[in-house]
Amino acid sequence: MTARERGERRAALGFVAPAVLTLAALTAGPALWVFWLSLRQRLPVFGIDRFTGLAHYAFLATDPRFWSATRVTVVFTVASVALELLLGLGIALALRGQRVGRRSALALLLLAWALPGVVTARLFEWLYHPAAGLVNVVLGLGLNWLGDPCLALPALVLADVWRTMPFVALFCYARLLTIPPALYEAAAVDGAERLATFRFVTLPLLAPVLLVTLLFRTLDALRAFDLMYVLTGGGPAGMTETLTVYAYRSLFQTLRLGFGSAIGVVVFTLVMLVAAAYVMVLHRQEAAA
Amino acid sequence: MRLAALAVAALLLAGCGESARRDGPVTVVFKHARMFGDDPVPRLVAAFEARHPGIRVKTEALGSASDEQHQFFVINLEGSLGPGRGPGFDVMMLDVIWVPEFARAGWLLDLTTSLAPGELDGHFPAAAAAARWSGRVWALPWNWNVGLLYYRADLLERHGLAPPATDVELTRAVRLIQGRERDPRLEGFLWQGKQYEGLTVNALESLWASGTDLLGPDGRVLPDPARAEEALYRLYDLIQRGISPDWVSAADEELSRRAFGDGRAIFLRNWPYAMDLFEGPGSPVRGRVGIAPLPRLRGDVAAPGATGGSLLGVSRASRHPEAAVALARFLASEEAQRVLAGGSVLPTLMALYHDPALLAKRPHMPVLHALSLVARPRPITPAYLMLSTSLQPELSAAVVGVKSPARAVADARRALEYALSGIR
Repeated sequence: MTARERGERRAALGFVAPAVLTLAALTAGPALWVFWLSLRQRLPVFGIDRFTGLAHYAFLATDPRFWSATRVTVVFTVASVALELLLGLGIALALRGQRVGRRSALALLLLAWALPGVVTARLFEWLYHPAAGLVNVVLGLGLNWLGDPCLALPALVLADVWRTMPFVALFCYARLLTIPPALYEAAAVDGAERLATFRFVTLPLLAPVLLVTLLFRTLDALRAFDLMYVLTGGGPAGMTETLTVYAYRSLFQTLRLGFGSAIGVVVFTLVMLVAAAYVMVLHRQEAAA
Repeated sequence: MRLAALAVAALLLAGCGESARRDGPVTVVFKHARMFGDDPVPRLVAAFEARHPGIRVKTEALGSASDEQHQFFVINLEGSLGPGRGPGFDVMMLDVIWVPEFARAGWLLDLTTSLAPGELDGHFPAAAAAARWSGRVWALPWNWNVGLLYYRADLLERHGLAPPATDVELTRAVRLIQGRERDPRLEGFLWQGKQYEGLTVNALESLWASGTDLLGPDGRVLPDPARAEEALYRLYDLIQRGISPDWVSAADEELSRRAFGDGRAIFLRNWPYAMDLFEGPGSPVRGRVGIAPLPRLRGDVAAPGATGGSLLGVSRASRHPEAAVALARFLASEEAQRVLAGGSVLPTLMALYHDPALLAKRPHMPVLHALSLVARPRPITPAYLMLSTSLQPELSAAVVGVKSPARAVADARRALEYALSGIR
């Protein structure tokens, strides 16, 4: 390395430093602080603040409520993200083929996505109302959507799909618009059928966008909170209690700061692992491209 | 650009940083839950200010959800005692279950010496008990709630039935009326089975009706497991036998209140606020609703309703404690409670329940008085919310039948013991 290169390097570090420091102060700092808290028994109401090491994690390992919340979080994430991806992709494809009313369709899609989470939740509270709810009236059923331990989680997944499917649809639609028509013409000339065109032209070009959308949606779903909080409070029988709801109950409702932080650290770790896996796949794709 | 940034900053900071002026009137901030209907708080505050020219009162309403109010208070009060800090409010409206917690945390001003002798004597004994913790007074009783049974007086009368005193009678009434009315939309007995504080309340009432409690006299959790199982089995069984619809497992106060208010149920367990709505103009059940004690589970054990309501506390970090205490005492006085009772709130002062002027508007107040005298408070402990939130999933599991009552009781004891072990 020449002296000049070294100088440039130093200057570059200087330029990057503000961003790094800001990120460290806003993200890494609090994260480390939460980890430190999770090693303590801290109950401000009772004036208790002492080091307990990994005691909270040891309890969580054998805590059925924690494992139930983990299961709910994973099931909710996989189910809602898969449905959102399939439906969103389908809608994006349908939109591209649509001649009339495309703008109104887009506006309607955005409407669902633009509603605040709590408003969506309240909306579904009425839709799922056991006696007067639209869902039961239209389907002619008398289902106990939010009070049945087997139905409550699917009901929440449906609500989440309704709310965030447009996000996926819009991303896919935007990408579809940028695929040059020439590619489709070439495929048609080669005698490719619709399915083959989708499989070998559309899907590969869509893949990077799909992957990024998948990343956003997965990370969001892993932290799902508002729908459960408003609609079921985590019930019945804890069947819709996600890790974030459990953490909220411990942290903010009962001020068990150490214990709640331990759950927070688990959520954080889970999210980081998933994010790292996606980033690896994305890198590999870029390298292959 | 810079102008825009300044504008944004000004917008964000608007309303913050009202520094205390040296001279001029003292400002006291009163944080309270939003009141429904005709809000009496502004009128009361105006009356107080007229009598205390040196004090200005600023009222700030919080959302009506109890969880959110609790979160607001704990976040703002924790750390409020450091030098130069303050929570930004002086007088606060506290749910009855928070007083011991806030007192234990040191967030409340000890009011014991500020009160006149016997100042709490006119309140319901359970309300005065909720104001005390560890032998001191931390808050003033302000408004009142008690769990009770609503029944459709018209339906019971048409079929020659008296209000049910026991589960057996309630079951018989539901079967008989449903059989004769032939209305598939008419449900039997509604209560609150959603996984939230309301379920804890319903389960507590069931525990009391079976002759046991959540905390024993020695502080042990669920001291009589056999009776606790009986209490949980009762709730599960009500749904299994069709006496209660399956959706009570998702019902809160409002969901069950609306169904009953639309004329779609014979019985309802709820709080007194529902009566004013049932008797309101345009209500389908107007003039057809009666009030009774909750049904007994065992003939020889009383079935008290749970008490609720709110109290007024003063922040220990208040900069104007004397003015704040004066405001709290005024708001809790008979004069102010009379104004409140003219609206949709129930007073904690017993004398008002037989006040002719109020009775003309709310004729059911003497019945509520009698129910309140035998009602019971939820466990008075600083760890109440910890207990209740740990308990809720287990109660819900027993209600919907995911766990047997025995499993639910065993798991609840385990969860509660760990939660409590942290504070011992």
